[in-house]
Amino acid sequence: MSFIEIRDLHKKFKENIVLDGISLEIDQGDVIGIIGPSGTGKSTLLRCINQLEIPEKGTIRLQEQEINLSSKKNRKEILELRQNTGMVFQQFNLFERKTALENVEEGLLVIQKKSKSEAREIALEELKRVGMLGWANHYPRHLSGGQQQRVAIARALAMRPKLLLFDEPTSALDPEMVGEVLDVIRQIASEGFTMLLVSHEMAFVRNVSNRVIFIDKGVIVEDGTPKQVFYNPKNDRTREFLAKMHMLELEPEYSI
Amino acid sequence: MTKLFDFKKVLTNIPELLTYLPITLELALLAMLIGLVLGLLLAIIKMKEIPVLKQIAAVFVSLVRGTPVLVQLYIVYFGVPMFFKYLNQRYGTNLAVANIPGFVYAVLALGLNSSAFSAEMIRSALMSVGRGQLEAAYALGMTYGQALRRIIIPEAMTVALPTIGNSLISSIKGTSLAFTCAVVEITAQGKIIGGRDYRYFEVYCSLAIIYWMVTIVIEQILKFTEKKLAIPDQVENFTENK
Repeated sequence: MSFIEIRDLHKKFKENIVLDGISLEIDQGDVIGIIGPSGTGKSTLLRCINQLEIPEKGTIRLQEQEINLSSKKNRKEILELRQNTGMVFQQFNLFERKTALENVEEGLLVIQKKSKSEAREIALEELKRVGMLGWANHYPRHLSGGQQQRVAIARALAMRPKLLLFDEPTSALDPEMVGEVLDVIRQIASEGFTMLLVSHEMAFVRNVSNRVIFIDKGVIVEDGTPKQVFYNPKNDRTREFLAKMHMLELEPEYSI
Repeated sequence: MTKLFDFKKVLTNIPELLTYLPITLELALLAMLIGLVLGLLLAIIKMKEIPVLKQIAAVFVSLVRGTPVLVQLYIVYFGVPMFFKYLNQRYGTNLAVANIPGFVYAVLALGLNSSAFSAEMIRSALMSVGRGQLEAAYALGMTYGQALRRIIIPEAMTVALPTIGNSLISSIKGTSLAFTCAVVEITAQGKIIGGRDYRYFEVYCSLAIIYWMVTIVIEQILKFTEKKLAIPDQVENFTENK
């Protein structure tokens, strides 16, 4: 049995079908890159997994626990699901009135009910992991985008989630800061965290993932190792998309 | 010939009036507290669009904003006892309405009044906190209540502080109407003092001075709190052996 299983996820906004029956099995330690054109539901998929969006239909199984995502009623289960998943947002979403350290401690104190000293110890360790220890006392407004995103990653990691969700973690960053955040993600990926990574950094996805899925129009079109998806895509839509992203040289860029 | 304006009396009135200042402040602070709590409730009802409650809240806010405070004080002062009397007649209970001091009615009426005005101000402050932080709190596994208490309200507070100050000031001035409910606060005492020798004008001048001073003090406290709550411009780097 797989570690995590998402079954038959359907989500639409008004008439717009965003997810049209997505099923996905995830093994422990998987780093799954999710790619696809804009507006095809990549972010919505992540947001449905921890119920920031409520899908019309769909379930998730975390190890033994099966949860119906389409209902708002099972509040306890949803809170538990959220505690077992960590999310890193495109816009960082750090708590503005808390220092970097307090940001990372927050979940440990409020959700995991850890003691103040224990929470502090874990938080400092996580800040160290993302290279932000020296900035522990700083508030988000003192930090650059890349630094904020690293703190946000530390905040998610501190909760020891079973599944980490990265929602375009570098899309809101200035180009020179993308590298530092990707380095941190690469490092975590190598440490055995299970994660779903939505990103437009194709080269990065190819390098860091052990599996890549291509989503278009709300369905999984292609699913395989980075090598298969990037160099030998079976589907025309994947081919077309990768060609647009210059990842697949179907034809020379110039011809004389 | 008697003096037209007795300046000395303006000053000598003040100590006697000041003995009633605690009542004024108590009225204002309690009314304000009720106003904030109820206002927060109204704001959440409106933000979360809770059916039925939402409509009741809208009617309440419209009603309170559409009638003068003085009329509201009269209505609470006469209406609540009538309601209790009705209960007593209907169910044969023996609720001692007469024992409820006017102070309670005044606080209730002023508090309800302030809540209607606070509601919108609290709602806009809550909404000024980006949705992202709420989502981040949810993603950690917090409930709406936890997110509100730990993340949203602390930040909204700093946004709302100047307006909260305003409503505290207007709530202090609103207490001058509490005489309606037979509460003797400073304005009521002023009228009593004025009635002794008909030097009403002097006493009103004394009152004006007191209210003004109180307002200045509140403004200073607010300024200080605002500074205290502000995120510092610079902080030192973290070193482990601290």
